[in-house]
Amino acid sequence: MMWSWIPSNWSEIWELTKQTAFLGIISPLIGLVISVPLGVVAARWRWINPPTLVVVNVVYAIPSLALFIALIPTFGLTDTTVVIGLTVYSLCVILPNVVGGLRGVPAPVKQAATAMGYGPLRRLITVELPLATPVILAGLRVGVVSSVSLASVGQIIGVSSLGYLFVDGEQRDFPTEIYVGLFLIIILAVACDLILVGVRRALTPWASGRDRAPGIRRRVVPGTPVTPVPALWR
Amino acid sequence: MSFFSYAWDWVTTDANWHGPGSIPHQLLAHLGYSFLPLLIAGLIAVPAGVVIGHTGRGATLVINLANAWRAIPTLGLLVLIAVYQWPTLLTWLIPLTVLAIPPILVNVYEGVDGVDPGVKDAAKGVGMTPWQQVVKVEVPIAMPLILIGLRTSAIFVVATATIAAYIGLGGLGRFIIDGLANTQYGPVAGGSLLVILLALIVLGVFALLSRLLVPAGLRGAGKDNQ
Amino acid sequence: MTGFRNRVVTQTGTVNPDYTPATRLVLGDAFAGGAEGRWLITFEGVTKRYPDGTVAVDDLDLEVPDGKTMVLVGPSGCGKTTTLRMINRLVEASEGRILLNGDDIRAQNPAKLRRGIGYVIQQTGLFPHRTIEDNIATVPVLNGWRRAKARARARELLTTVGLDPALAKRYPHQLSGGQQQRVGVARALAADPPVLLMDEPFSAVDPVVRGQLQEQLIALQTELRKTIVLVTHDIEEAIKVGDLVALYHPHGTLAQLATPERLLAAPADDYVAGFVGFDRGIRRLSFFRTDGLSLSAGPVLPETATVAAAVKTGEPWILVVASESDPTPSGWLPSDRLAGLDGAALLKDVAADPFGHTFTVGDDSLRAALDAAVLSPAGLAIGVDADGRVAGLATFDQLRSAVQAAQAAQDALDAQENQDALAAQPGSGPGAAP
Repeated sequence: MMWSWIPSNWSEIWELTKQTAFLGIISPLIGLVISVPLGVVAARWRWINPPTLVVVNVVYAIPSLALFIALIPTFGLTDTTVVIGLTVYSLCVILPNVVGGLRGVPAPVKQAATAMGYGPLRRLITVELPLATPVILAGLRVGVVSSVSLASVGQIIGVSSLGYLFVDGEQRDFPTEIYVGLFLIIILAVACDLILVGVRRALTPWASGRDRAPGIRRRVVPGTPVTPVPALWR
Repeated sequence: MSFFSYAWDWVTTDANWHGPGSIPHQLLAHLGYSFLPLLIAGLIAVPAGVVIGHTGRGATLVINLANAWRAIPTLGLLVLIAVYQWPTLLTWLIPLTVLAIPPILVNVYEGVDGVDPGVKDAAKGVGMTPWQQVVKVEVPIAMPLILIGLRTSAIFVVATATIAAYIGLGGLGRFIIDGLANTQYGPVAGGSLLVILLALIVLGVFALLSRLLVPAGLRGAGKDNQ
Repeated sequence: MTGFRNRVVTQTGTVNPDYTPATRLVLGDAFAGGAEGRWLITFEGVTKRYPDGTVAVDDLDLEVPDGKTMVLVGPSGCGKTTTLRMINRLVEASEGRILLNGDDIRAQNPAKLRRGIGYVIQQTGLFPHRTIEDNIATVPVLNGWRRAKARARARELLTTVGLDPALAKRYPHQLSGGQQQRVGVARALAADPPVLLMDEPFSAVDPVVRGQLQEQLIALQTELRKTIVLVTHDIEEAIKVGDLVALYHPHGTLAQLATPERLLAAPADDYVAGFVGFDRGIRRLSFFRTDGLSLSAGPVLPETATVAAAVKTGEPWILVVASESDPTPSGWLPSDRLAGLDGAALLKDVAADPFGHTFTVGDDSLRAALDAAVLSPAGLAIGVDADGRVAGLATFDQLRSAVQAAQAAQDALDAQENQDALAAQPGSGPGAAP
């Protein structure tokens, strides 16, 4: 392990880290923005759920490299391809959690809100979404961590990120570079994860620090992945 | 030309189906690279997950395992091992197996741990030995999650085996990596398409397994449990 | 209105002669008499202490008589469920020992022990992945029965608990809460265990279903004579279902152990009185028979009688019955409605008030009779026989006499039993009474 390599190449390393952070954070955020309205629709009109779930499962099964490659003709060998790919994956994780989180809001709570005179939209925004936040954020956490890690695969199609350290280190037979890449990606992912945990605590002071709001059962419905530890894994 | 036309052209070229390094050959290799780690990981992780789920010991470790492992970039790990030049078998088998364990372990644990406490109490109360409780009650009820864990891991190894071509392994990823090196989009698209199809077949196999292995009594319960 | 329950029991206990738990003294060997009968389950100085220091059960001495229903009742956290779960070793006692049929339960393999004990819990714990009949057949199959035989037994038991055997092939989630509870009971009975443990079995269903399940349990008990230990937080359920009631203090000790009637008649202290509830005097009346109630012939006339005859009786209310040969009640007629009517008119042509409640003489309790009197517009309770024919009427005064007589008789009986028990104890010291 050649420690001196690090400071002498620090500016490049830093650039790559920023790149990775960009790819890994923007994508799940876009995924979140798309998932919430879609999830609200799916939670409201339940018949949409089974087909949505099938589509999500199928898309999520597509290996990342293959997905990026499939996007190349349309979006070229650019950052956009990777961002779109990662957004799609994040969507696959966050959307079921939005649906699950909303459906997990206890019925008595919703009924009380309606009985007190909340209209459907207001109830959604002020009651249901806040209560669903822990589960949604759990999905976002998975999305962010996976995206930060998967961004490195984009290097194979030439999209720059910390993955470059892997590719370069392999070509030059230089383990130090690879270790640095591994370390930074993991640190970045864990840091984002912890930040999101903090965000969840800040947004949901009533929750006891678990990945679900009180009253939402962790009990898994067979066949419907709703657990805050998403059944989908990449 | 679109992705599909490139891919289709290439896949339907007869020459690609014959000779060394052809589609059938790489497909078989890919299956080997995927199936073997999955099998070994399953043999380790399923019993381990069942024990941890039933006894509750080691649970905190498992819960945190999921997040930790998700952060590890597989390309980096593979490349690291290639650089250290381990003998071929170890280069891919051990890392792929080790990486395939967490999804199975976490989901099996969640499944067994998540069995209704009333049901677990009843199983103990009617006089089942711990072994009987696990085998006759907890595992069958946890089966949907166990299968989800195995399926997730299966998809994962198929994807990782694809990337493993980068460090010189065979498999369908070979077409992709070589094609990228030679800027031939045909095999790149074609290889990708084949990998996608393989992943979909894996999904289908697990859907079938779910039909076969998940007890009938659990299927209808889904709607009522919300 | 629930009928009168004959709670006079004649069982005695043979027990380790060196051991005299407080309970036997308190009961005054109330189950004294016959030669058969035993104390099937015995708690000797049992304590349960948890690692963090909480004491769930504190030095408990308790005996459960064979073939009877013992109800453990008390507030949340009082240790009643812990006590129950110590019997089948789902919870292990920290101190003391528990005997089942004379043997220390710790000497047996836990799984084997549990197969000989039926266990019913509030959430039913039915195996969702098995059909109803396979759920019920669980223990027989564990014991080695062939599956076909076990399933046949399961279908039998479905009938026993009042369910349609056609439900056998369904799955738990397809049944209602009440049905699931019955299946839970059937499962507990499948291997024909002598002991049945029930942990708040009826708390999770609505009151109507709960009442039906309680009635079913009582009926089952008359037929099967199992030793049942039932935990509940509902004192009414305890009184309705139990032969013996053990009332717990909030922290793992017993406040009183007595028959339901005694609990209502003589609560040991203010805590018990408070727990039992305020109208215990009236509730106690459901334990007293109406055989001894004197009835009067009263102002009863058939429909075919005339208005003039009714007026001539001078009574403020007339009970109209169908006929003299078949005196089933039709309704009450107030005398002021008869004034001004043609004297020759028949009573059946005059609009009568509904006769409301009746009570069956002999079967119904004094409480039912009192309730009938209160509800009657005439202030007279209509006593009918098993066929619904009027046997006589009871005034408030007659009811009062009957109540006081019954109370006096029961109190005397209990005092006598206490005295006998005290005499029977060699060298019994102070502290014998609660």
